[in-house]
Amino acid sequence: MTFKFFLIAVLIGFLFYLLLLPRLDTLRKGVIFLLVLTMLLFVIQPDWSTTVAHQVGVSRGVDLLFYLSHLLLFFVAFAYYLKFKKMEARLTKLVRQLALERAWTEP
Amino acid sequence: MQATDPGDVLDAAFVVVPAYNEARVIRDVVEGLATAFPNIVVVNDGSSDDTEEILRGTPAKVITHPLNLGQGAALQTGITFALKRGAAYVVTFDADGQHRVEDAVSAVRLLAAGGCDVVCGSRFLDTASNVPPMRKFLLKAAVAFANATSGAHMTDVHNGLRALNRKAASCLNISQSGMAHASEIISQLRKHDMAIREIPVRIVYTEYSMTKGQSSLNAINILFDLVIGRFLK
Repeated sequence: MTFKFFLIAVLIGFLFYLLLLPRLDTLRKGVIFLLVLTMLLFVIQPDWSTTVAHQVGVSRGVDLLFYLSHLLLFFVAFAYYLKFKKMEARLTKLVRQLALERAWTEP
Repeated sequence: MQATDPGDVLDAAFVVVPAYNEARVIRDVVEGLATAFPNIVVVNDGSSDDTEEILRGTPAKVITHPLNLGQGAALQTGITFALKRGAAYVVTFDADGQHRVEDAVSAVRLLAAGGCDVVCGSRFLDTASNVPPMRKFLLKAAVAFANATSGAHMTDVHNGLRALNRKAASCLNISQSGMAHASEIISQLRKHDMAIREIPVRIVYTEYSMTKGQSSLNAINILFDLVIGRFLK
């Protein structure tokens, strides 16, 4: 029972943090908000996840959550990878500009 | 049509040499090139050795990336610089001494004679280049990939020796900082309908160039970069 309370506290804390985050558009905020609310629901009523799992042909609720969290994490990792690549491209432009300005030619 | 005087042709060419930690050989490479080409641009790609110091006093113009970005990025920097300086022809030439200056000269001469926009070196058209078997297999796979995705008919795409006229060099906007740039260059040239020709060039596989060259395993990274590159378009 105690672990449940711990999870609830963390999720509620995260919800408040999310509401206070200024640099996030409403759509993203909304999606994460719904996600956290669903998580909260499953923490309070773990049996409901099993009900949902049965609907989609997975036998246990935890298994369904396990699959979904993997997909989500993969998506997040990929999104960050693309972001990193774009940042790298910008860095390249910056370094090139700097290098061209400082180019030294024969004495 | 008679081509312009060969001397003038080489004067209008800029040789771009991307260099990363090549202190041991870069001076010889630059001095070799200087016997034929007046305009040599070395892009020192954030080397941690004394590549830059060694180049002082050589005829090379040196551009130094404050950070190491990769060979593709270095090439683009050098090409941008050459075009700004009014280059009529841009030659790319590896810094590790695996190319021969006379091959670069014949590439520019062929380009100047007209009939094509790009001349690429091919080690597979040359019978004397002793390409190690594993290397040959991977290079051939890269060629097959580049031909399939760009519709080109090349025999060698990962060859550092290329000569481009101004029009072709202006088409390039290399975004693949790493080694995937070789395929990217071909696909960008093809997209702009540049006429590409290949000439046989000798690759000198020295012990040094073999250790400096890419590890064969890098082929996996290149493929990955090319696939990811499509997502970023």
